[in-house]
Amino acid sequence: MKPEEEPHVTKYQTYVLVWVGLVILTGTTFSVAGMELGGWTVLIALAIAGTKSGLVLNYFMHLRSERLLIFKVIIPLVMAVFLVFILLTFSDLAFRGGAR
Amino acid sequence: MALMILRSLKIMDEAREAVFEEAGDYTGAKLAMWLFILSELLLFGGMFILYSGYRYKNPVDFHHASRELEVILGTLNTIILLTSSLSVAASIAAIQKGQRKLSMVLLMATLALGLLFLANKGFEWGAKIEHGIYPNSPTLLARSKGEILFFGLYYVMTGLHGLHVLVGVCVFSVMLILIAKGTLNQRRFVPLENAGLYWHLVDIIWIFLYPLFYLIT
Repeated sequence: MKPEEEPHVTKYQTYVLVWVGLVILTGTTFSVAGMELGGWTVLIALAIAGTKSGLVLNYFMHLRSERLLIFKVIIPLVMAVFLVFILLTFSDLAFRGGAR
Repeated sequence: MALMILRSLKIMDEAREAVFEEAGDYTGAKLAMWLFILSELLLFGGMFILYSGYRYKNPVDFHHASRELEVILGTLNTIILLTSSLSVAASIAAIQKGQRKLSMVLLMATLALGLLFLANKGFEWGAKIEHGIYPNSPTLLARSKGEILFFGLYYVMTGLHGLHVLVGVCVFSVMLILIAKGTLNQRRFVPLENAGLYWHLVDIIWIFLYPLFYLIT
């Protein structure tokens, strides 16, 4: 293997710490759902889910220690495509108006 | 001039290395797995958009329908899947360090957790079906439009996710055999690493399914 391809071996302790973080965040989502926060509840739930995904992507899936640029570029690219679809869908829903 | 010749010689050397070493394989295999994962993200992403569109139109019905799901079971399954992600990540680290036995034990734990997730899911679906709530059932069709949509999405999305878990369990079984036979080892572990990447994707999808179906307030 070329030196830049040599996989980075993560320490077991790092994985366990990430797992503890993920479990704590799950507990947080669970307890936030019980509070009366109106429209904020969905946003908080999605923000926590996003944070958890970030932890999984960066540590479990090694995106953080990946040295080739392409691995770091493709995820934001797909997220951007996904975002465009969300925006198109919701602008359609919002402006559909009286046509029932 | 001499420097230029030296540099071009070096470039040729590197090119030869890339062709003849199996190393080029390693990045290629992982990149292909990532491309597959991204296509999966868009597949599930489409369904998440469908979900948010219908929820936006039927907020009250979604709220009522969601309260009928077993939150404790959903939370338990979240913890199970997170733990299985930990065990597979550790299993890959173990094989990279040459700890073959440990790698196999951790992979077996991952397999067991995957099966436990499916058992819980089956239990949950079974209880719902027993109450007459399944796609196109008379009990469900008698309900409001939003609740029918919610349960339709619930069955399709958790069903497709469950199918992915089942595939993962099968893939891990094959990996376990390959490690036992020595086909996968400290030098060659990219199939196991890719299986792990797939499993983490399944985990990430569940991370979003969990609050969207079980925790609507």
